[in-house]
Amino acid sequence: MPEYNPERHYKSIEKSLSAQLMLAGDSSVIELPEGHFAFKNSLILEGKNNIAIRGKGPDKTILSFKPQESGAEGLRVANCTNIVLENFAIEDAAGDNIKVTDTDGITFRNIKSAWTGTVKEQNGAYGLYPVLSKRVVVEHCEVLGASDAGIYVGQSEDVVIRNNVVYWNVAGIESENCENVIIEGNEAYENTGGILIFDLPGLTRYGSNIKAFNNYIHDNNLKNFAPKGNIVGVVPPGTGFLVLATEDVEIYDNRVIDNKTIGAGIVSYELVAAMRQEPSGKQRQTGAQGVNRNYKMDTNYNPYPRRVYLHDNWFSNSHLIPDLGNEFGKLFIFKFGLKPPQIAWDGIKAPGYLLPDGQPNPEYKICVREKDDVKVAVLDAANDFEGLSSDPGLLDCEL
Amino acid sequence: MTKKLFLILLIAAGCSQAKKEKDVVIIEEEVSLPVNYEKVGKMKLSEYGFFRGNPADLEPAANVYPYDLNTPLFTDYALKKRFIFIPEGSQAAYQEKEVLDFPVGAVLIKNFYYDDAQLGAGKGKIIETRLLIREDDGWKALPYVWNDEQTDAFLEITGKDEELTLNGKGTFTYSVPSMAQCKSCHERSGAIAPIGPTARQLNKTVNDKNQLLMLHEAGVLSGLPDISAVPKVAVWNDENSGTLNDRARAYLEINCAHCHRPEGPGKNSGLDLSICSPTDFTLGFYKAPVAAGAGSGGLQYDIVPGKPDESILIYRMQSLDPGVMMPELGRKLRHDEGVALVREWVASLTP
Repeated sequence: MPEYNPERHYKSIEKSLSAQLMLAGDSSVIELPEGHFAFKNSLILEGKNNIAIRGKGPDKTILSFKPQESGAEGLRVANCTNIVLENFAIEDAAGDNIKVTDTDGITFRNIKSAWTGTVKEQNGAYGLYPVLSKRVVVEHCEVLGASDAGIYVGQSEDVVIRNNVVYWNVAGIESENCENVIIEGNEAYENTGGILIFDLPGLTRYGSNIKAFNNYIHDNNLKNFAPKGNIVGVVPPGTGFLVLATEDVEIYDNRVIDNKTIGAGIVSYELVAAMRQEPSGKQRQTGAQGVNRNYKMDTNYNPYPRRVYLHDNWFSNSHLIPDLGNEFGKLFIFKFGLKPPQIAWDGIKAPGYLLPDGQPNPEYKICVREKDDVKVAVLDAANDFEGLSSDPGLLDCEL
Repeated sequence: MTKKLFLILLIAAGCSQAKKEKDVVIIEEEVSLPVNYEKVGKMKLSEYGFFRGNPADLEPAANVYPYDLNTPLFTDYALKKRFIFIPEGSQAAYQEKEVLDFPVGAVLIKNFYYDDAQLGAGKGKIIETRLLIREDDGWKALPYVWNDEQTDAFLEITGKDEELTLNGKGTFTYSVPSMAQCKSCHERSGAIAPIGPTARQLNKTVNDKNQLLMLHEAGVLSGLPDISAVPKVAVWNDENSGTLNDRARAYLEINCAHCHRPEGPGKNSGLDLSICSPTDFTLGFYKAPVAAGAGSGGLQYDIVPGKPDESILIYRMQSLDPGVMMPELGRKLRHDEGVALVREWVASLTP
C-alpha cells in the first residue's frame, strides 16, 4: 500500500484555539497560524453563525490529531450557519478528520485531509464529512488515506463537490442519501472506487437529482481496505463510478480510464445485501414482538436504482484482466474473457419495472448513450446471471 | 500563556484492543493565540451560593434540592451528587416522558467525586462540578474544576485532564469536558438540553421519601399526578427493579440515547437507543453500520440477537480506542458491569 510520510515538528495551540472556537462571536474570522499543531481532543465549533476558520495554506498550517485521546473527529462543526473552512491541512484523527453536522451553509476550500504513514484499515473513515447539512460546497481540496470515503457527503441537500483531488481512499468521493448534488471537475485516482452515488436504508432522508460531469476518474485499482462490516467493503477494486439505489442520476462528459474491473456499475441494494449475506427480509417472531430483519422494513427506502442516465463519457481500459479478488472480476472474465464491459447494471428489476404492456416503466429507466465501442452489460444477478447480456440495444434510451 | 514542554507517550492508553502502533508525539511548546474572553459565567462555583458551610461538604443552601437517578450515566466510576436549584417562587412542571420543564433561573448542579475507597485513604476528592443553567433563551453548560485544597471550583471552559489511580481499575486520565464538549452530549435538535431528570428517572425513594413527592411537597414541582401513575425506569444493577430487558434498555437509554435518538447528534446513523425505540432495525437489530469506519470492528451489525460477540454495540462499549469507543466522550475506562449487563441482554435475544 502507498505511504505518506511528511516531516512534522509539533507545537500546541490546543487550549487557546479551543477557547477561541468556543468564544468566537458571530461573523468573525479565526486565523490559524503557520506551523504544525498537535491536538489531544477534538476541536469543536458549535452553534455559531458566519465564521471562517482560515489557515496560511495546506502546506503551512497543519492540524494533527496523532496524539488524540478523546473525541472521534478532528474538527467537529455542529448546528452552525454559514461556515467557511479553508487553507489548512488536517491529519490523523481517530475517526473522521472533519465532520460537519446539522449546518446550513458550509464550505470546505483548499483543505488537505490525510492520514499519514502507510495507507491502512486503521485510518479514520472520512476525510471530509458534511452530513445532515444544507448548502454544502467542497472545492479545491485534496484528500487521501480514508478507510471509507475521502469526501463523503451524507444526508444533505444542495451540494457542490468540485475541482478536488482524491486518492488512496477506499472511495474517492461518495454522495450518500443526498439531494441536488453536483460532482464536477474532480480527479479521483488510485482509490478502490472513484465516485460512489449511494442511497442506504434506515436513514433520515433519501437521495435524488445527482449530476456528475467533467470528472477524471482513473486508475482506481487500490485494494479495498475498508474495515469489514462497512458498506464500501463491497466496492470491487477497479471501479470508476458506482450508483446504488439512487434516483435521477446523470453521469456525462467524464473521462473514465483504466479502472480495471468496471468503468461504471449500477446496482440495487438487493445485490449489496446478498453480497453482505444480510438476512432475508422475512419478519420473525421473538416473544411477543416481531423483529424487523432488514432494509425491507424501511418502507421509505427504494432499493433499486432508477432514472439513471449515462451519456457522452469517455471510457477506456488498457487492463486486460479485471481485479480477480472479487465476484465481479471473476464473473466478467468468465463471461466476457478479455473483453469486459465498461458499464454494467445488475439487472435486478424493481417489482414495478415492467408496465403491463411489457415496456420498461419510465420511473425505473436506466439509459446509456455512449460511443459504439463502449460495452454495456445487464447481468441478471437475480437469476444467477442466466439472462446476462451485452446486447448493445438493451439500455439504449434517453432521459 | 507560559511555554511548556510536552512529551506525550501514546501507548494507546494501555488498551489491548487498540490496533494503532505505539507512537511518540513530541509537542514542543504551547503557543498562545488571542482569545476574546466574553463573560461566560461566574469564575468560581462559590459565587453562586449553592452550598453552605465547608464547600466540599456540598451541604445544600436554601432552594437547592438533592436528587438521584434510577439509572445514571457511567463516568469512569465517578460518584455523583446532584442538586437542583429552583429560584424562590418558581416551579418545575411535570412531564410524563421528557425531562421536567424547569423554570428560567433553575440550575442543575452535578458534582463528580471519588471516595477514599476508590482513591486510597484520605485521598477522596471532588474533581469537578458541571452546571446546566436555564436562561431566558435556553440552557447554558459550564464546567468547574475543584482545586487540590477542595476549597472551591473554578470555571475552566476548555476542560481539564487529570491523571487518577483507582483501586482495582488502574491509572487513567480523567477528562473534565470543555464547554463545547458539554453540548456534544447535551444536545436536542440543536439546542442544549438536560438529559437525566425525567420523571421516570426521578421516581425513586431516597431516605424513605419519593423524590418527586419531596419536590412536590417543597412546592417546586407542579402538575405531579398520583405517584402510582408516574412512569419509573428500571435500576440497571438491581434485578428486583425490572426484567433483564428493562434494565438493559434503561442502561442504553441513559448512556447512549442522548446522541442515538431521532433528535440527537448521533441521528445520522439512524440508530435509536432510547427507551421508546421499537425492537427492530431502528434499535440496531441486524442494522448495518452507516458511518462507523473502524468502529465496526469487522462486524456486520449493531446487534445480532443472541450473539454479543458479533454485535458492534458490544464491541464499541468494550473499546478504549477513541476512534472506536462509545460513548465517544466522558469515558476513559471500560464499564465492566455495564458491558456485562448489555452482553447478557443481547445473548438473551432470540435470533
